[in-house]
Amino acid sequence: MSVDFLHPGEGAAVDTSVPALEMRGIDKRFPGVVALDNVDLTLEPGKIHALMGENGAGKSTLIKIMAGVYGKDAGTIRMRGRELDIKSPRDSLKEGIKVVFQEIALISEFTVAENIFLEGYPTGKGGSIDWRKIRADSAALFNRIGFNVDPAARTGSLPVSQQQMVEIARALAHEARVVVMDEPTSSLTPNEISLLFTVIRRLAALGIAVLYVSHKLDEVFEIADTVTVLRDGRHVSTRPIGDHTNDTLIQDMIGRRIESLFPRKRGAPGSKVALSVQGLSTAKKLKDVSFEAHAGEVLGFFGLMGAGRTELAKAVVGFDPITSGTISVDGHRLLPHDTHTGVRLGIGLLTEDRKSEGLMGELPVYQNASLASLGAFARMGFIDKAGERKAVQDYVDRFRIKTPSLFQEIKNLSGGNQQKVLISRWLMRGLNVIVVDEPTRGIDVGAKSEIFALIDRLAGEGLAVVMMTSEMPELLGLSDRVAVMCEGRLTAIMSRDDATQEKILNAAIG
Amino acid sequence: MSLASTETMRAGPSMLARLFARQELALLLCLILVIAFFSFTAENFFSVRNMTNVLGQASLALTAGIGCAIVFMSGEVDISIGSLLATIALPLIIIMNDTNSLLLGVGGALLFGLIIGVVNGYLTAYAGINSLIVTLGTMFIMRGGVYLYTGQRAIPADAALDSFIALSDGRLFNVVPYSAVIAIVLLAAFAYMMRHRPFGRQIYAVGGNPEVARLAGYDVRRVKFICFIISAMLATVAGIILAARVGSAQHTAGLNFEFQVVAATVLGGVSLAGGIGSLTGMALGVLILQFLSNGLRGLGLPTEWQLVITGMIIIAAVAFDEAKRRRIIGG
Repeated sequence: MSVDFLHPGEGAAVDTSVPALEMRGIDKRFPGVVALDNVDLTLEPGKIHALMGENGAGKSTLIKIMAGVYGKDAGTIRMRGRELDIKSPRDSLKEGIKVVFQEIALISEFTVAENIFLEGYPTGKGGSIDWRKIRADSAALFNRIGFNVDPAARTGSLPVSQQQMVEIARALAHEARVVVMDEPTSSLTPNEISLLFTVIRRLAALGIAVLYVSHKLDEVFEIADTVTVLRDGRHVSTRPIGDHTNDTLIQDMIGRRIESLFPRKRGAPGSKVALSVQGLSTAKKLKDVSFEAHAGEVLGFFGLMGAGRTELAKAVVGFDPITSGTISVDGHRLLPHDTHTGVRLGIGLLTEDRKSEGLMGELPVYQNASLASLGAFARMGFIDKAGERKAVQDYVDRFRIKTPSLFQEIKNLSGGNQQKVLISRWLMRGLNVIVVDEPTRGIDVGAKSEIFALIDRLAGEGLAVVMMTSEMPELLGLSDRVAVMCEGRLTAIMSRDDATQEKILNAAIG
Repeated sequence: MSLASTETMRAGPSMLARLFARQELALLLCLILVIAFFSFTAENFFSVRNMTNVLGQASLALTAGIGCAIVFMSGEVDISIGSLLATIALPLIIIMNDTNSLLLGVGGALLFGLIIGVVNGYLTAYAGINSLIVTLGTMFIMRGGVYLYTGQRAIPADAALDSFIALSDGRLFNVVPYSAVIAIVLLAAFAYMMRHRPFGRQIYAVGGNPEVARLAGYDVRRVKFICFIISAMLATVAGIILAARVGSAQHTAGLNFEFQVVAATVLGGVSLAGGIGSLTGMALGVLILQFLSNGLRGLGLPTEWQLVITGMIIIAAVAFDEAKRRRIIGG
């Protein structure tokens, strides 16, 4: 029994005694990482089910398996008792599973109406597209939802919030049994959010099962009937929302994790200011961010998705342009948008996106390590290859980088070892300040503690470490001070001893 | 992102008027300017005879350009069409000479074209090899094959089949060359497909953003595969017309033809990146270059200069388009 949002009268009554969708024992592995480990999820027709968890908990992976983007390594998916074999997004759509992804998935050259019916254009006689019906139905759909979007507008010309509405409308244009929304409110105004919630409740009233993915506690308390929490790719709890308080939800999301992952060997940070940022703003995200980082200190920045951590990291090292503010490294002014001077002054970025911004995947380990300091190995304009390799070998030994040889292509190393090579790249250059963005993303749990130890050691050797992270344990385990961001602003800065998870999350929600 | 498309923009023919005021209109103005300029400067340029002759000459590029543009729109390239033009003349002429039947010859040529389309499409869409490399490869293989088979001598069509000759110099109502009629009919049919058939929209979607297309349930590989078959079949049709015109299979037939077609397609506003452009634009691009070449010849300018001027026009057109696009994004 599927339900058509546009023509609700035509759907037959929905049997609510059988789960609309049942996922059992779902496993998913990526090279070096277990993304999902034996996860269960049951969606009831007519119910709104929230899926929560920190970044990296496995929410997105689970949705993508549901949507046919990824295959699962183990487990079963049943719809109303019938086992599904979802091999591609097409299979999933055919079963009436409609996913509104967090990233906008629209063709920007198409009109809004064309995007809404992307999944299948209504055709008239002879199989030609019925444009009149498309325009009329799109307009009717927006009317029903209450969104104010012009169906004839070119999608790419619309602001992101309107594009998000188009995404939502699209999920409702065809018959649906299960509607999944992944952080659908990330760029909506409060007014639009309340419209969305009305739509979601109406969907549920029509007997559609809704999965609402979010890390916003207030939204979940407002809309959900049931909450499932994932952590580190595992199922933690599924409870009616009435059984939860703010505290129990946060506790389920974060868990109590072993402090022993973070052995602290370094001493107290120094008082010398290595990096000073004053009134930093960028065109798109950052608003008036000011802070100082000291030599020998780990300054941890926390923020939810979209808070502006990566933007701050890229602006501070001189990679991205800024609209106002100053950056000083070791007392010297760094002009924005100039990584060349940045590196000379001794500030470098360990990027969050190793694959596209960090690694030269096809090049051997030693060339990846020496990339930033080729000048140091140049003799009369030629590279002293022996000296270069000797220097790299030194780091391979010191950091225990596991590689068959210096000549191994770096793409074949594990995530943890790749990260160590990239850290070597900066140390070889000689830095005062290193900005690390999500240093353990895509790195499995065992190797994480080695990276933590390495970061501890960097600070111990007198570098100022500015760490961007979305992982609470990492933040609390490594930082001397904690800074919290929300929507491009710095909302709190506190010492490690004053920082509690509740304080941090409150500051992160804004 | 770009003004380069009308077909992508249209939600239906009723918006035609509003949206025609875009790239196609600029191209149409260019075409009129070119024709007007040479009408005043070149002798015998502005005559029904010369105009229809140019149309006849343009028909090969118009026909094959449909396929080229469709492959571009899907986000790939096909540069094997020039060699294919020469190659399919072999089955065509050989079968015709053996059987005395135009129909069998054309059937053989189309079958051969289909096979090349399947090979190009399979290697690109399913084996995942870059389409520039694949079609560069098949381009060389086919050209080499023709050289080997013909021993660099033309293979003439023995039997003077009336219908085959008509294909080359026949004219509808004694005015419009049949080859141009074929090109215009095909153009209209495929333009309708791109605009009003679900498959046409799938091509734009796949070229515009393959990830999004896949999430919307499209079989991205199948769409691209079919685009390569369309391209090869249309190049085959162009090859048949060319063979009729020269009355033989020749090893140098269609040499550099692929680049003329690519040039016209790009000039017509079809983006190499996929998802943007229209067949109308491609056709206008072909006509502009064809009239330009005809007019320059009328002025007595040597072919060398035509090449230089064509090259400059293409770069200028694409640079202009890019500048316009940036200003729109920036503002």
